Amino acid sequence: MSYHYNEAFENPDYHNSETLESGRRKASQMNSMFRQNPYDSSPYDSYTDHDGREQRQSYSVDIPMATMQPGLEVSQSAKRWGTPNANPYGNTHINHSFEYEPEFTYTPPSTLSTVDGPFARRSSDASEASIVQRRNRQRADSVFTTSSDFDRTDANAAAYNENKESQEEKIIRNLASMTTRERIKAIQKMPKTMKEKREIRNKVLMEKTRKSVSYSTEIHCCTQCMYKIALSYRRFRNGLSELFQSLQLWQKTLKIIGGKFGTSVLSYFVFLTWLLTFNIFSFLVNFSFVTIPQFIAAGSNNLSFTGLELLTGAGYFQQTVLYYGFYTNSTITKIENSTSYDMQLAYIFTIGIYFVICFFSLVYSMAKSFRNNFVNPQTYSGNAGKLLCIWDFNITNEKAVRLKQKNLSTQIKEALSEGKSEDLNLSLKQRMVHIAIHLAAWIFSLGTTAVCCTCVYYLSINNLKLFMKGDGTELENQAATLVLPIVVSLLNLLTPFVFSLLELLEKFQYPRNQIYVTITRNVILKMSIIGILCYYWLNIVATSATECWETLVGQDIYRLVVVDFLFCLLGSFFGEFIRRIIGTKCLKNLGVPEFDIARNVLGLIYVQTLTWIGIFFSPLLPAIQIIFFFIIFYVKKVSLMMNCQPPRKVWRASQMTTLFIFLLFFPSFTGVLSVVAITIWRLNPSEKCGPFRGLSSIFDAVSRWIDVLTNYPRSAWVVWIYHNLIESVHFFFILTVIIIIITYLYWQIIEGRKIMVRLLHEQIINEGKDKMFLLEKLRALQASTRDTPARKGASQQFSTTSSLYQPPGQLDQQRHLSMPNYLERPLEKNKSSFSAKPPYTADFPETSGFLPGDPQRQQPSTKPGVSEALALAMRARQQAEREMEDEDEEDFRS
Amino acid sequence: MGGSASSVPPDLLGEYQELTFLTKQEILIAHKRFSELVPKEERDQILSARVPKDKVVTLPELRANPFQHRICRVFSTAEDGDDSLSFEDFLDMLSVFSDAATSEIKSHYAFRIFDFDDDGTLDRKDLENLVNCLTGDADGTRLSTSEMDQLIQNILEESDIDKDGTINLSEFQHVISRSPDFASSFKIVL
Repeated sequence: MSYHYNEAFENPDYHNSETLESGRRKASQMNSMFRQNPYDSSPYDSYTDHDGREQRQSYSVDIPMATMQPGLEVSQSAKRWGTPNANPYGNTHINHSFEYEPEFTYTPPSTLSTVDGPFARRSSDASEASIVQRRNRQRADSVFTTSSDFDRTDANAAAYNENKESQEEKIIRNLASMTTRERIKAIQKMPKTMKEKREIRNKVLMEKTRKSVSYSTEIHCCTQCMYKIALSYRRFRNGLSELFQSLQLWQKTLKIIGGKFGTSVLSYFVFLTWLLTFNIFSFLVNFSFVTIPQFIAAGSNNLSFTGLELLTGAGYFQQTVLYYGFYTNSTITKIENSTSYDMQLAYIFTIGIYFVICFFSLVYSMAKSFRNNFVNPQTYSGNAGKLLCIWDFNITNEKAVRLKQKNLSTQIKEALSEGKSEDLNLSLKQRMVHIAIHLAAWIFSLGTTAVCCTCVYYLSINNLKLFMKGDGTELENQAATLVLPIVVSLLNLLTPFVFSLLELLEKFQYPRNQIYVTITRNVILKMSIIGILCYYWLNIVATSATECWETLVGQDIYRLVVVDFLFCLLGSFFGEFIRRIIGTKCLKNLGVPEFDIARNVLGLIYVQTLTWIGIFFSPLLPAIQIIFFFIIFYVKKVSLMMNCQPPRKVWRASQMTTLFIFLLFFPSFTGVLSVVAITIWRLNPSEKCGPFRGLSSIFDAVSRWIDVLTNYPRSAWVVWIYHNLIESVHFFFILTVIIIIITYLYWQIIEGRKIMVRLLHEQIINEGKDKMFLLEKLRALQASTRDTPARKGASQQFSTTSSLYQPPGQLDQQRHLSMPNYLERPLEKNKSSFSAKPPYTADFPETSGFLPGDPQRQQPSTKPGVSEALALAMRARQQAEREMEDEDEEDFRS
Repeated sequence: MGGSASSVPPDLLGEYQELTFLTKQEILIAHKRFSELVPKEERDQILSARVPKDKVVTLPELRANPFQHRICRVFSTAEDGDDSLSFEDFLDMLSVFSDAATSEIKSHYAFRIFDFDDDGTLDRKDLENLVNCLTGDADGTRLSTSEMDQLIQNILEESDIDKDGTINLSEFQHVISRSPDFASSFKIVL
């Protein structure tokens, strides 16, 4: 859609649109100010006041302005642009044949543009001009076309209109050649008002119908049929997307949270709902393909339910569909002699396909997130540019807005003061101290992690021994099993606090680094705890002499999930509620707590990892997770609303979300995949329970199935796929090589692009310098012409053209008025009525003279040669800009 | 969807869906919210009614927004420049601020909102206005003149690629493209 992208802001229509009414209005305000200027109090004032409009319509620009030396006076300095009274001919508008000033004053849309309108057009191609320039031209047109005069400007206007029309026709032709969907999208993307969009759409439709009529009428019926199908398909799609939208959970709650806390906190809740949809999907799949068939074949459950099972997951639950051990290994046939349902295959394929879908959806969302959020991170410089897009329009709460403004203000001030102090380089000794502190902090955190892991390992082994011995009462045994999950959850809850104490010691230069380091430490902690537990499950529990080790593992995971959920509730109670009480009642300087996004999201990732591991051992674990996530959502929401304040620091929500999705993929999901793969391929399933009892490994179920299939010629392709693709080493070898080659190619392309981007960037800067240089020259030239011949020529010309109309004595005033620039400036400053809002110039330092961005504006006063040079410079710059945009777009795409 | 007189005709609804990024549901909600702003006697012809600016900014979504006046100005098509919004203007606005809008069109309108003097470029004055809106008008939060100068200098240094002293639309869009949070934060949902 690059075409539309460019077209969108190059189209002059936008600038003529009614939404820019304000510009016009301002100009008319200016007009009234002009009238107040002291030099208008001439006897002819009444004339200008009453006949302003007719005058504008009747004047003719007979004298080309470039040859008119007085023009120079008007445009020599940017400061003087808006002050016609500074012009030596300020009150010559009594002169009918030389109505320079009235034109200047009485053109409603833009007083400035009318002057340079014709010149701007003459000096550069109509198609290649900057926005401002184009708008000026536009304004000029709207003035000149209304005038009844026929002169060069009219011709120009006609030419311009033609150009505009042809452009519009081009757009319409382009749109007409698109498919319906593309066209709708393209029209939606136009930055125009509804009315204009509708006009364009109608024109396009007309064009289309005209074309289709001219083509042929015999396939009319067919096309109509196709059209109807397309239409109904589109309706169906729309309906579907609306359905999905209404299904999106908590739309309103999310809006309230966003309105009060901004996008950053919102990202936690969005992440939570995202995980929830994962779990809902997994629950639906598992329930429908594994659990429902099991219900049909289920035996009776003779264990009693006490209530403690909800916490421990043992006892009654052992004999339910919650755990692996309960599932049957037989084929289920409800009706005799009909097709049967093989439980083994169902179990393995359901979970396998679920993981494959998860894998692709994770990779997809990760890639999408990376593409959108890490565009050229190496050229992302500094923070100031970020200010342009920092405002969070989601925030609607008044208090939150004020808080946000306050935070932004302090942030900006801090950043500015930091920028100043950054120059102070640290001494070698200080640097050594810094490095030593970091090193110590890392050693400490890794040491803590190791201690935690050892602790968990011995505790779990002890736990297994206790279970195997089985002495003590039933209740004691069950309570003993809870020790491990409680310890694990406690470690998970408390160690991050210790880590955050380390932050205080370390004092990072950039808060971003601090966040990344803290996240890394926490991830290492959580993942090593899970890793140790996996080792325990796969190497110790699986080889122990228990009756059904899979169920044991499932129970362990169940307990971990439940206890972690309880700790999460406790955490938000103590961490946020009590903290707020302390902060507001006891220690006032602590203040209201902030919502710790990173810690909370890492907690979610941890639980999701457990759930994924648990899916194999306890297929209904996602259902439990769904309930927990629901409760967590509401608890966190209430706790957030009651206890927390919006985060003070800028949280780069999108990049953090990308990071979290990446974390969910990399240590978490890939780890889970390897655990499940080991379970399926390497481990011996239990002898007496579960769907795979009696097999040497779980994957044997598939190989046996393939063996059976070999006897059926109709399903030979399945066998072929199995032997040649899934079991074949060569296939995977070739696949890997191809993927590596493609990756390498892409990497090289990216490297090339990077170089290209850098070169283009340099080019743009050089073009800018060129432009500055040319402008500098131009100004020098102006200064020299103004000093000598211009002044003379001007006064001479003036006396020849207007001496007839000049009342005696006024000439003196003229001379007085044509005093040099520096004398005039104080004069202007007095006229605050106007200079309060000079449209382009007032806030530029004197050194730059005039606004370099609008060089065309100064052109009435330039000589043709110079203006050509300027036009060249402009053109070069625009070309560079366009190239740059194209490049950017390509970058986006890649 | 409101009273009998206040529903959108189906053909118009389809047209709105085609011309904006909004879904049917969103348009109907917008219609309901808009009709609440229109005085009772004008409810019959909501589609041709115009709501004055001071009514529009009472919407809870805009009430606290520091850019509310600019938003009204940019999206208003009023002939006399009083920044009043018609229903179609209102839809235009919601379309730009909706989830589905591309970040190109979002940045385009963001540029126009930040271009306080409507001259097509962001110059120092505009940036100063912008920063003042961001930091609020209270004495404690307002930046001092030197801080403001320094900040604007920094912004221009980073964003003004061709070094002409102003930020034009393409430069602005360039900066925006580097800031992925923009699309999610430039959003108003009814």
